[in-house]
Amino acid sequence: MEELVELTIDGKEIEVPAGMNLIDAAERAGIHIPNLCYLKGMKGIGACRLCLVEIQGLKAPVIACNTKVKDGMIVNTKTDKVQEVRKFVIDLILSMHPLDCMTCTKAGKCNLQKYAYDFELKESSFTRKKFGYPTDAANPFIMRDPDYCILCGRCARVCNEQGTNVLEFMGRGVDSRVITANDKPLQESGCTFCGSCVDACPVNALLESDRLRKGREWDYKEINSVCLLCGNGCDITVSTKDGVIRKINAGAEAGSAEKYICAYGRFGFDCIEAETRLTVPMKRVNGELKDTDWQDALAIVSEKLKQAGKEAGFISVAGIGNEDALTLKKLARDVVRTKNFDTTLSLYADSESLRNSQAANIDNADLILLVGLDPSQWKRVLPALDAAVRRRAGRGAKLIVVNSSETKIEEAATISLKGDEISILESIAKALTEKGIKADRRLVSSVKNAGITEPVEKAADLISGARSPLIFSSPALFNASANIALLKGKVISVGLESNARGIALMGLTTEGKTYREMINSRMKVLYAVGEVPMVKRPDADFLIVQNSHMTELAKQADVVLPSATFLESAGTMVDYMGRMKYLPKVIEPQGESKSHREIFTGISKLMGTPLKKVTEAEVGKAAKVKTKPAFSSFVKQEGLDVSPQELIESVNASVINGSRLLWLKETEKAIAV
Amino acid sequence: MANNRCSVLVCQGTGCVSGGSEHIYNALKDELESSGHDEGISVKRTGCHGFCQQGPMIVVEPRGVFYTKVKTDDVPDIIKSVLPGGKSLDRLFYRDPVSEKAVTHYHDIPFYIKQERTILKYCGYIDPEEINDYTEIGGYAALRKAITWMTPEGVITEVKNSGIRGLGGAGFPAGRKWESCRNAPGDVKYVVCNADEGDPGAFQDRSVMEGNPHSVIEGMIIAAYAIGADKGFIYVRAEYPLAVNRLKTAIEQARQEGLLGDNILDSDFSFDMEIFQGAGAFVCGESTALVRSIEGKRGMPKAMPRPRTTEEGLWNKPTLLNNVKTFANIPLIITNGAGWFARRGTEKSKGTAVFSLTGKVVNCGLIEVPMGATLRKIIYDIGGGIPGGKSLKAVQTGGPSGGCLPAEMIDIPVDFDSLAEAGSIMGSGGLVVMDEGTCMVDVARYFLDFNRRESCGQCIPCRLGTRQMFEILDDITKGKGRPGDIDLLDRLSKSIKRSSICGLGKTAPNPVITTLRYFRDEYDAHIRDMRCPAGVCSMK
Repeated sequence: MEELVELTIDGKEIEVPAGMNLIDAAERAGIHIPNLCYLKGMKGIGACRLCLVEIQGLKAPVIACNTKVKDGMIVNTKTDKVQEVRKFVIDLILSMHPLDCMTCTKAGKCNLQKYAYDFELKESSFTRKKFGYPTDAANPFIMRDPDYCILCGRCARVCNEQGTNVLEFMGRGVDSRVITANDKPLQESGCTFCGSCVDACPVNALLESDRLRKGREWDYKEINSVCLLCGNGCDITVSTKDGVIRKINAGAEAGSAEKYICAYGRFGFDCIEAETRLTVPMKRVNGELKDTDWQDALAIVSEKLKQAGKEAGFISVAGIGNEDALTLKKLARDVVRTKNFDTTLSLYADSESLRNSQAANIDNADLILLVGLDPSQWKRVLPALDAAVRRRAGRGAKLIVVNSSETKIEEAATISLKGDEISILESIAKALTEKGIKADRRLVSSVKNAGITEPVEKAADLISGARSPLIFSSPALFNASANIALLKGKVISVGLESNARGIALMGLTTEGKTYREMINSRMKVLYAVGEVPMVKRPDADFLIVQNSHMTELAKQADVVLPSATFLESAGTMVDYMGRMKYLPKVIEPQGESKSHREIFTGISKLMGTPLKKVTEAEVGKAAKVKTKPAFSSFVKQEGLDVSPQELIESVNASVINGSRLLWLKETEKAIAV
Repeated sequence: MANNRCSVLVCQGTGCVSGGSEHIYNALKDELESSGHDEGISVKRTGCHGFCQQGPMIVVEPRGVFYTKVKTDDVPDIIKSVLPGGKSLDRLFYRDPVSEKAVTHYHDIPFYIKQERTILKYCGYIDPEEINDYTEIGGYAALRKAITWMTPEGVITEVKNSGIRGLGGAGFPAGRKWESCRNAPGDVKYVVCNADEGDPGAFQDRSVMEGNPHSVIEGMIIAAYAIGADKGFIYVRAEYPLAVNRLKTAIEQARQEGLLGDNILDSDFSFDMEIFQGAGAFVCGESTALVRSIEGKRGMPKAMPRPRTTEEGLWNKPTLLNNVKTFANIPLIITNGAGWFARRGTEKSKGTAVFSLTGKVVNCGLIEVPMGATLRKIIYDIGGGIPGGKSLKAVQTGGPSGGCLPAEMIDIPVDFDSLAEAGSIMGSGGLVVMDEGTCMVDVARYFLDFNRRESCGQCIPCRLGTRQMFEILDDITKGKGRPGDIDLLDRLSKSIKRSSICGLGKTAPNPVITTLRYFRDEYDAHIRDMRCPAGVCSMK
């Protein structure tokens, strides 16, 4: 139980957890303490001076962002004294800030505008001046306009905390500025274009590049959803206007280490209207793909599937929703009656590890153990995990990295253990048991020959001393990692695709041929769902590709079925942390494209066994796992060695090539040369 | 020194060096050598003598013959003068500005007589690049005493009893600071010397480091012993190359003598230090900004509430941060006892104060007086009064964070509390004398310009508020003052003081506050009558 503290804020008595700062505490009481530099989750720096409040018994006002609650504290947030300071500060900021709210894109969401309104400041009472700095608009993602900058430092702090370290202050006094190293454009400064700085900016200094005259903030409809582009499955907030997506922001709760999305998640939505977008079904006529209608296309598909029967095979990506996965499984098993259905998950994970993976909250972890994982914001491999781990480390959690190869994340590690992961885990397990942690007899005997080095000993000290250690493991090393969790902490198997865990739970794992076997053998019909990582047509008699975009593989297909993207279809997924997440239909599907399961159901109807709509209860039941953690040998699963970066880039090829991300890819390539 | 018949001490403080004293030193050496007269005569470099206005300076010991404004051409004559039968050089003597009489000896010059030089005592006497010179005058005896005979607690008690207050400007009782740092939990602790002297016109820390670097180092080692630190840093501005070099030499010599490093003086106590060169940001003199700067971060102060640096300083470890002069006093306190130290000064401000006396005063230079000496004594007795028969108008103490006191207040004692009461501060030791020809609005403008440029930029009141203040002052000095400007300045001053993060911001309006308090009529004259009473501002 967390310890609670009772205090009074503006006459309201509230009870909040000990250790909370006054801004957060007041928020719980529904009281907003003005601030411009505070970032929930990070230590307050008190630079903007707006959050000054008065505490009974203290002579001078204190900053609420960095003052912790105390039992019996009586806080006044709106005394004349502090209101006067606030007004003074806003007045001063306005002396250097453009007063163009009528055309400013940030209007409506601008904190400065809000406070100017609150304090009835039409303009500054002081003499006005402009910085006159040039705008950095040399990239298609983020526009930096230093003329609007109020130097709150949020962008720089967010950037530094997550480990990207692109933005920093330069200069003194009024000449202070936020710049990149050597004042280079963002793309030459190691920027990953995640846009965390955009989310943090309280004014119009950092903005998505394409927002100009695409609607005001109050025109937007904000919809919470989930990004399905990689194994992190980040929460997103999508803003739409007139049924068109205008921007996507990080959607996780403020203050969480997980409040992050990468450039794919933030800017990949361009691809919805890419030239390669499929809007009508196609079939091959005289060697050429021609548009057709759904009735025709589905008739061909169902006929072919009927003929193939158990010699048909279904392959899918693991970035489809639970409902799609369940429907696909039923189509294959119950309608087409084939045991051959598998996903890309089998390239990097065994479904067992994902089913046994536990649920956890990274914000509670005071120690993180990364086993065999190489998350990287720069390679965009599990970038949100990379950012979250670095943030947790920055906020005081210990980080232990176990890997046989070099990783970038180890720069943030308390201890980095290099070498064969299995041996290291055995050593850690032994060291932990020697610290008196009770263990399964089999576990003890299986590690009895392990040697303990000094760093391992230190790591074991940290683990045994931690309150809630959290182990993130590559699926191939899950069993060994789970053995550590038997001793202490929780363990998560991290898949590379967003719904890897959901796919495993829904049971979309083959009972016949595996993914690899299907593409390497001659199937009568091969039905590929989503952007499967394949460029060359496999040796199948008949190839069906169901995807949102025209791909190299689709070009070689016999039938192409246009599917909706994850932003155009409702559903659920289970993220790597074990949370069931709901995805609403944010916008209508382009053209005639349909959700995966609509297409599957359509086929089932034509095949005479109409599938019923998958219910919430059905998904919920499948997602419930009742396995008891148990010891299993310290062995690495073989054959799961696909390159994470290649896989993620392949399954997102259309997103990258059909959006401004292509510019990024090419620019990064050019810079790397 | 003992075997020499006579020593020619050539001042090598920054002031004299820029006057060519390095050439003079070399010429003296060469000349002596080539003439074969070098037996029994030694030529030595020393740190600043303090009387910078009269530089380059040479003192011939043991008699203390004092030569001023020496040129390289004077070298042959100086040598002749120190040879047997040689006569002192009348033309190089200091002349009393009133009687125009020559004063032949160092000890007879009013500038020196009226001072009580304690930490400056050996600046100008010993060779700062020779550790033996320092040990000969009793250097490192305090360290030996502390390590051999005293417990760390005993050292702290001695420092506490002396009543010494931090000489960086704020005047926090040093002993209490040491004690809280010793009591702060943690295995790793640091001692940091703040030598980021940033006030325009102040050079007292520099002179101590240049003239007697070992005294600072010894003070730091004793502090480290007392609080239990094994690592120290001297944070010096990179603009002080001479101080940096002398400290480097001194640290190296101390290491070779076993005074720094492992098992100092064969005890269990180990301590070493290094020099960290600051990039010349004024704000880095603030403790938390200085700490961040050493950590490799941008020097920006931390907002209150925050742990004290003694609890969470460098890399979040307990850190003792004191000024150069505070550390230089420590060996004296340990050697002579707390009582000796406490005898000087006032009830609440013990010991001496070192000032860089500059501006419109006859004798500019580096001076040391007991705490509580009056401004009158400093300006007239030591400083020799105002040149050109003009009258005193104001005295500025405490640098850009300090204030201007009017001539009427010339009899207030100079100590931490009296100055604060008068609206100024002790600061780290700048003292600028202003005569009737000084425009106080222009002075305020000058200091505000400095403060706005040196704001770290972090908090809005300081960053943007000082800009507003500067621009109003700039307008006033250009004849563009408006009615209401004074109220606005007053409002800005109060708001900035109330709402800024750090000491720099909170004191940034001080030059305006005190000039408004004591010289408001000058502001009125500028704004209302479009007239600069001192005739400084061109009121176009």
